[in-house]
Amino acid sequence: MKTTDLTLDLQAYVDGELPSERRAAVEAALAGDANARELVAGLRRLSELVRANEPVLRVPASREFYWSQIQRQIERAENQEATRPAGFALGWLRWLVPAVGAAAVAVVISLRPGREEVTLAAGFDSVQTDSSAVVFRSESDGVTIHWIE
Amino acid sequence: MPQSVKHDYPSAPDESLVKWAQQGDTEAFEQLVFRHRDKIFARAMMMMRNEDQALELSQEAWVKAWQRLAQFQGESSFATWMTRIVINLCLDQIRRQKRVRTESIDEMQEESGGVERQLPVSDPNPTAGLEQDELRRRIDEALGKLTDAHRTVVVLHEFEGLEYKEIAKRVGISIGTVMSRLFYARRRLATLLQSLKRERSE
Repeated sequence: MKTTDLTLDLQAYVDGELPSERRAAVEAALAGDANARELVAGLRRLSELVRANEPVLRVPASREFYWSQIQRQIERAENQEATRPAGFALGWLRWLVPAVGAAAVAVVISLRPGREEVTLAAGFDSVQTDSSAVVFRSESDGVTIHWIE
Repeated sequence: MPQSVKHDYPSAPDESLVKWAQQGDTEAFEQLVFRHRDKIFARAMMMMRNEDQALELSQEAWVKAWQRLAQFQGESSFATWMTRIVINLCLDQIRRQKRVRTESIDEMQEESGGVERQLPVSDPNPTAGLEQDELRRRIDEALGKLTDAHRTVVVLHEFEGLEYKEIAKRVGISIGTVMSRLFYARRRLATLLQSLKRERSE
């Protein structure tokens, strides 16, 4: 067993977290190694010392002030919750506007006489299939869109 | 907030206060805040080592507790449940600040070198003779000198009593890392307390 493993096993032994299959090796080390015993004793002392003397810290604000801030945050959150349906509808509107715009562009394009091949943006290819349909294909995005009149 | 119904809040046990608060009684909730605010703040302070952040996170924990009160079924004590909330908020904050990553020589040594076996505490009790308040202050100071990563495992293990497995899950690290961080943290604490003894004898 490497020293690192044994050291961490000794710590796990102190913490009561040593897997049972490693207990025999640790107990053998403890029986024959004064340093291992010293380490175990040191870890125990330190752990007991720290646990028994957990620092005591107090809120640096009066009860009223501390509570008033919490109360305000709770009320704010509840007010936001109450107004959420309106916000939700606005969220849909945000999507609706560009969607209507895109539809309008598509209609304009489809109504233009003699225009059978269209490029919407760089990177888009257009393919004419027949006089009443327009196909846009993006290789990079792997998307093909068909407008059929 | 819903209106409160009058009860004898100061003498009511936590369980009753929780039940009333779950029914929307804010005065019952205020009593819970009053009762446990120092512990919740202390835990945040211990994790963050920054008073403003600790204050903010402890208040955020109370807001979250109010919002999730219906989920509290009494599997643990209310104080334990609250402490979990504040610890999770602190861990999230520490992650956001990316303070857990390699921030000290200690941690770099931890990653690259082996674990030396000896703890520097050769004196059985380097803090003997100190008043408890002074001792607590010194331990707090020593904890403050640890890295966030090391302090986090000490707080979760020694004060919260969490097992390695639970710490690993909460912090998002392996059990092996929990063990090595805990060992290095303890070694550093032992060094700091040993230097305290030297200071006192000079």
